[in-house]
Amino acid sequence: MTLNELISQCKKRDAKAQAELYKQYSSTLFAICLRYSPNYVEAEDNLQDAFITILKKVEQFKGKGSFEGWMKRITVNTVLQKYRKQRDFDIAKEEQIEDLNEEIESNEIPLDFLLKIIQELPSQYRLVFTLYVLDDYSHKEIATMLGISDGTSKSNLARARVILKNKIEIYNNTNKA
Amino acid sequence: MKGKKQIDELFKERFKNFEATPSSHVWDAIQATLKKEEDDQKVIPIWWKLGGVAALLAILLTVGSIVFNPFDTTKNITSEDAIPLDLPEMKKDLINSDYINKNEIASEEIENPSTKESSEVVSEIDLVTSSDKEGDPLNISNTKQDAVIAESTSNKVSNSKKEKTNSILKQNPPLEVISEKERIAVVAKKETSEEVVISKPNDGVIKKDITLDETAKPIANETNDSDINKEGKATDAKTKDDVIKSEEGLNKRSLLDVIKENKVEKAVAKASNIPDERWDVAPNFAPVYYNSLSEGSSIDPSFSDNAKSGGVNLSYGVQVSYAINNRLSVRSGISNVDLSYATSGLELGTAPVSEALKSIDYGERQVVTTAVDKGTFSNNPPGGNPFGNITPKSTSGDVKLVQDINYYEIPLELKYAVLDSKFGVNIIGGLSTMLLGKNEVYVQADGFEEALGNATNLSSISFSTNLGVGFDYKITRKLRFNLEPMFKYQLNPYTDSSVNFKPYYIGVYTGLSLKF
Repeated sequence: MTLNELISQCKKRDAKAQAELYKQYSSTLFAICLRYSPNYVEAEDNLQDAFITILKKVEQFKGKGSFEGWMKRITVNTVLQKYRKQRDFDIAKEEQIEDLNEEIESNEIPLDFLLKIIQELPSQYRLVFTLYVLDDYSHKEIATMLGISDGTSKSNLARARVILKNKIEIYNNTNKA
Repeated sequence: MKGKKQIDELFKERFKNFEATPSSHVWDAIQATLKKEEDDQKVIPIWWKLGGVAALLAILLTVGSIVFNPFDTTKNITSEDAIPLDLPEMKKDLINSDYINKNEIASEEIENPSTKESSEVVSEIDLVTSSDKEGDPLNISNTKQDAVIAESTSNKVSNSKKEKTNSILKQNPPLEVISEKERIAVVAKKETSEEVVISKPNDGVIKKDITLDETAKPIANETNDSDINKEGKATDAKTKDDVIKSEEGLNKRSLLDVIKENKVEKAVAKASNIPDERWDVAPNFAPVYYNSLSEGSSIDPSFSDNAKSGGVNLSYGVQVSYAINNRLSVRSGISNVDLSYATSGLELGTAPVSEALKSIDYGERQVVTTAVDKGTFSNNPPGGNPFGNITPKSTSGDVKLVQDINYYEIPLELKYAVLDSKFGVNIIGGLSTMLLGKNEVYVQADGFEEALGNATNLSSISFSTNLGVGFDYKITRKLRFNLEPMFKYQLNPYTDSSVNFKPYYIGVYTGLSLKF
């Protein structure tokens, strides 16, 4: 079955096509959920919500752009909707951001660990960092998506980098020792 | 800047081809959610649609029978008349428009002085004047007319009432005015000595009286009162009675004929509209075929793609119906319905109850027989997950998992006769309440059969929407033979809304029905 056939069958609510679509794309979409969610369980919940939205709104996909891109956007939006209101950090207390001049040793750092430290970021830092670094959104876009200012987006990103760098350094030091 | 870039690039690089497989329960949850939402969306509209159709049908038929019933129409007219009666002025106007014109024409045509006098009576609306003229030939004809009216309304007048004539007359001036005018209208024409002309307005008056008498009691009573007055006058003019009768004999007969005709018409109309016997009892039985509109399995989701077949069983019961009119009847009753459904393409194994089919209550047993998709054991050698705890059972031939379900069905249906002659055609629609009786799941193979237990996911009370066509043949007036192919769609047969199994059954109900 070609992708177009699969899409048109999904539009007809065909159960087999829906299962096939899930089979083909769940890994990609789940990776997105993992990057934007605070933990594995919530990532699964978000995948579930996102995929249900995809299956329900599939008739709204008019063939403009890639279907995968469309599904990814829905997934990102689903997650953003859930976490953008969660301001689980105090912006007022932000400290001066130290420069990140030192090189970090990135060899041998497992992906699991990197994912874990992203997930551990305060929600808005995590969203900004993932959107900017991993999904290539601009600060302007991020500001619109999250309902914050460009400046906030930039400072959140900087804070996220510092936190991540510190954790990687700790990890490297622990492993060296 | 270097550090910033490095962090970004580190993550970009490492997450470039990042993919992760979610655990299988995510898809199960997605399916369950979709199914539930679909059911919620589907079940309610079907329920409402069918309910709506039945309600609409009932309303249309009720409205239709009222609008197109000739006698109800007369009733409407007389009830309109009843209002002006309470308001004498309005009634006067009504009568004026109906009769005064005729009267004027009559008086213009006739150059007889006595007729002119009668016209003056009308204009004065003076009762005393009219009673003063009893000896006058004009008044003789008045009383003639009165007598006819009195008879036509079948009013039995006592002597004592006759004595009260004058006082009643004064109590009911507007009514008396009416009758005076009516009379004069008739009389004025009568003066032309043409009986043919007379009979026409007479008919009008009499018919009006009949209508009043039979359909609107208060009006009839008042009319009767005025008739009493008239008859009072008639008896005062006793000496003229014989003459009246002989003169009016012909005319009277025609009036009575009209009344009779009216009554006959009414009787005919009644016969065609109201059934002689409203109740009807019908024992019936039907072969019923059970199947599902969807591919899912009610036993286990993994059997969704297996071959399945519906079984043919028997339904029997008794139905009682009540005829609302000759076309429409409402009916209920009780039936015992047996249904069965088989899933094939399976293989059997022995397993601890925790590994066996989830939708079956195995009772107290700890090690039980379970069924899995054919090929599961060969693809998953013993010891490998997830079927490691299931020991294959060797059977020969195709393994079938059969579910038997028994319901007590209580229908509530409307039946509308499209064709109602010796051979009848009906449309039937309604709902049934299904009370779950016993149910059993068992497995079958060549030379092997074992009961597993009861299905745990069946609703104890569920509903179905019913649609069908009924054919009947009237053997006698009271006895008829029925043949009714019915389609019944179950609305909520399973407690677990994620079960993708949408059962329906088709039954061809036959039986004899007896009216009483």
